[in-house]
Amino acid sequence: MLAKRGGARIWLGMSAPLDFLGIFAGRLRQAEISFAITSGMACVHYGLQQTTKDSDWIIPAEDLARLRGLLSRLEGELPPWRISYRQICGAPLEPEYMSHGWTSHLSVWDSAGSAEHKVDIFSRPPRVRGEELSADAEGWASQHVVAQMKKTDRDKDWPMVDGLGRRLWRSGLAVAVLHLADFDSLLAAWGVLGEATRRQMAERRPLLRSLSGPPVLTRPRFDLLLMLERLLWERVNRHRYRRYAGPWKDFYRAWRCEQPVWPTDEPFALQHRGLNDAARRHGLPTEPLAGPERSRLVQAAVDEILAMERFTREDVASVLPPVYELLP
Amino acid sequence: MKIQVVPAEPDIEMPEEYYEWLADAMGQEAADWARLPREEREKELRWYHENFNTPDDLAVWPPELGGGEVASTY
Repeated sequence: MLAKRGGARIWLGMSAPLDFLGIFAGRLRQAEISFAITSGMACVHYGLQQTTKDSDWIIPAEDLARLRGLLSRLEGELPPWRISYRQICGAPLEPEYMSHGWTSHLSVWDSAGSAEHKVDIFSRPPRVRGEELSADAEGWASQHVVAQMKKTDRDKDWPMVDGLGRRLWRSGLAVAVLHLADFDSLLAAWGVLGEATRRQMAERRPLLRSLSGPPVLTRPRFDLLLMLERLLWERVNRHRYRRYAGPWKDFYRAWRCEQPVWPTDEPFALQHRGLNDAARRHGLPTEPLAGPERSRLVQAAVDEILAMERFTREDVASVLPPVYELLP
Repeated sequence: MKIQVVPAEPDIEMPEEYYEWLADAMGQEAADWARLPREEREKELRWYHENFNTPDDLAVWPPELGGGEVASTY
């Protein structure tokens, strides 16, 4: 809920996050860097969120060197931009880290009087399959990509998933049934899909099988399984970021002992060099979810849910998405 | 990971039930805002950005590193 105007804390600096999106997108385009604007700002674009100011960008790992070059050039412009890693900076903008699910967190000031723009960068966005990563010519990540990214453990994200599903269905896209979270909408959508599409979608979202019947589940039972399905996504996400947050916090504590001031006032290229050297020196793992870790992680989430004694193994099996869907 | 460039998704006209659902899920103000044409939505958002200095998230840590964690309601 937005605060009312009468209670506003007036901010004297100029804040223009929407303008910044256009400016930064233009600079990326000029530098021939692929990008997709995702998450909160994409939800704004699709009419689903009102208040976000931060921006989230998907930039492929192969374009990161070009991105770092662009950021350094922008610092040398007149008037100069100011670019800095944030204190909680995530991983260095290096393909070895970013192509394995790390995020990097920057602050950007595009002029002396500008507001601080918080820019988060993903190269491998969570829950998005590589072959489905798409954006339009303006750079907006597709609604399906945004919906996948929003399957987090934050309550506020789930209405976005459902809303994006509703919009996708209105556009006639079958992929909507991966995101809809309402019995009636799902039943109606399921009823018009062909057999082959149903099979394909149910592979990814096993809960959908229960719509085929006979008999179709009752609404209360379906709602319960829907709740369980969301709980699985939430727990998997929580475990996923713990695999990143734990090593990152260890790294950061060790690094702070030798480098008490961070971020430094240095140009971005020097900050980057310092962070990158330190990350390697202190053993920040490049790939926290390597090899069988994904399956183990999903199993840990399942075990946690079973330990609640609210759902049976059969319940879990009937809704558990495959590992490639939860952690592609 | 390559980003495929696809045609822009049309600014579709949503049925009344969608806005009723939005009001129910996110509040009447969100639903009223969503009914506006895109330019008007952005104009309103711009006004809020210029007049409120409210961070997106009060958590020190970003969501990927454990910030914004909300206790499960189940």
